[in-house]
Amino acid sequence: MAVVVRAEGLTKRFGNRVVLANAEFEIGEGVWGLLGDNGAGKTTLMGLMLGLLTPDEGKLETFGSSPRRNGPAIRARIGYSPEHQLFPGDLPAIDFVRHMCELHGIPRNHSATRASDALWWVDLGEERFRALGTLSVGQCQRVKLAAAMAFDPALLLLDEPTDGLDPSQRDAMLALISRVGGVSGMTIVMASHLLDEVERTCDRVLILDGGVVRELGPMHDSLRAPEALEVTIDGDADSFAAWIERRGVVVTRSEPSGRRLSIAVPSSSSSASSPANSHRDLLALIQESATVNAVGIRTLTPVRTGLAERMASRS
Amino acid sequence: MTARIATRGYRPYSGERTGVAGAMTSVGRLTMQRCLGIHRPLRTKVFPVVVIALAYLPTLVYVGVTVLGNRLDRQGLPGRTTAMTLVPNYAQNYGQIVLAVVVFSAFVAPEVLCPDQRTGMLGLYLASPLNRTTYLVSKAVAVAAMVSVVTLGPPLVLLIGYSMQGYGPQGFGEWMLTLARIVLAAMVISTLLTALSLAMSSLTSRRAAASAGFLAIVVGGSSLCGLLITQGGMTNRLNLLNLVTLPYELVYRIFDEPSPLTINAEAPVPTALLVAAFFAWLVLGYAVVSWRYRRLALVR
Repeated sequence: MAVVVRAEGLTKRFGNRVVLANAEFEIGEGVWGLLGDNGAGKTTLMGLMLGLLTPDEGKLETFGSSPRRNGPAIRARIGYSPEHQLFPGDLPAIDFVRHMCELHGIPRNHSATRASDALWWVDLGEERFRALGTLSVGQCQRVKLAAAMAFDPALLLLDEPTDGLDPSQRDAMLALISRVGGVSGMTIVMASHLLDEVERTCDRVLILDGGVVRELGPMHDSLRAPEALEVTIDGDADSFAAWIERRGVVVTRSEPSGRRLSIAVPSSSSSASSPANSHRDLLALIQESATVNAVGIRTLTPVRTGLAERMASRS
Repeated sequence: MTARIATRGYRPYSGERTGVAGAMTSVGRLTMQRCLGIHRPLRTKVFPVVVIALAYLPTLVYVGVTVLGNRLDRQGLPGRTTAMTLVPNYAQNYGQIVLAVVVFSAFVAPEVLCPDQRTGMLGLYLASPLNRTTYLVSKAVAVAAMVSVVTLGPPLVLLIGYSMQGYGPQGFGEWMLTLARIVLAAMVISTLLTALSLAMSSLTSRRAAASAGFLAIVVGGSSLCGLLITQGGMTNRLNLLNLVTLPYELVYRIFDEPSPLTINAEAPVPTALLVAAFFAWLVLGYAVVSWRYRRLALVR
């Protein structure tokens, strides 16, 4: 797998604040999630990849060369969708995307067609002549995606592409990004602070926590597995819970009636198996307890906490 | 007969890429279009069209006077002689469009730079093959080209009008010399006003503030200099700080015509000093723009 971005001892500070600390990683081809809480250094890292920022220490290479030295050539191959939504409100969407194509070297006679195709591709074909200021947040996010991919870049950087979207728009955007990654062959780096988004869209992940690279590589089982399972019982919940508790698993009542239970997935450190195996073992345990105690299971929902809590529990 | 379903699937691009030059051209083109209100709502077209019309109006009137003068001459009336006393020479023509030129300059650069700072376009531009320098060069060329519409266009129309009516330079050599002087004069005014208005626009993301600041420095400064010289009895070298008089004085020198400043002056400001002041202002303007854009944080 070809290396697209490589960092060695990468450090970036803004004043006294260390945003990236001695980061070492390689980003290869595929769809990558750049995961981290707000302020973890995701946007800074994208700025460094584009050559908009200079590392204070260490080095970073994009496509094998330094973005600071070879910026224009590197940026010609990168599509960038920023987090913000502020664009000239009276500029028609198609003119904006066409301009982005021309900026990245597509000749004028090809730009109009590619811009139009990209907007159709993100389901904005009918809206392509509308001014950016009249589009909804969801439509603006799709215009940004169209503008970033219309000139066929080798690397697509998407900074919080679902920011400001409602759940259905978010689902649609994530599906769109997966589709782009699937058919275009572009390497995609999607910055997000939501584990769930990265999980659904990306096949690899780079986790930043306070400027430090916590995890790198394929989406790890440990990230996919939930921390707890929430179960609603139809029947004698006490005997159901006691049977599980006797096997060393923590069970808590989520509501006064006691019919809804939260059953913690044993952490990997407390069991020999991996978290995903613990999760599967717990499912088997719940099934067995339900059979033994003759209770019905009305609902069973995996519970995942935010990234910050996850990071805190892992460190 | 068979039907074929065409899909809009993703298409890779393997053709030629235009590189930095293509990006700069695209920025320049879009910038000029937006200044003129092209592909924008009607209200954005009104101001540039009115100011450009005002810049061309005196010139068109004078060309009309020469046409009328020739017609009256053909009817045996002294139309041509009268017209000769009414119409200005090329240097004087600049003095009559100065207001339109300054107002247009106050509008163009803020329109070009401020929205990019205010919206996210600057970040997007610098995430493309452009860097700060090539971005600013594209913008400066676009602004200079737009200002040239009102600094180069009217004298060119005057030259063509005078030539067609027999009021223009005599002979090919003289005609070419006048053309060269017109181009040089337009460049002097355009580059200076471009540098100053870009400098002012780089300091704020608010268009109105940039325009007001530019007008305050150029018009306000000019009035202050004029007052200090005429009422305060200060040296006429203070005109080196007068950003209206300085370029127009240079225009008179280019056309080798006596200017209002030199006609009655006991010790006219030497041309070398005017040229030095012109370049000093130019360097100062572009230095401010360059300094400001080097300090702009794009990603935080």
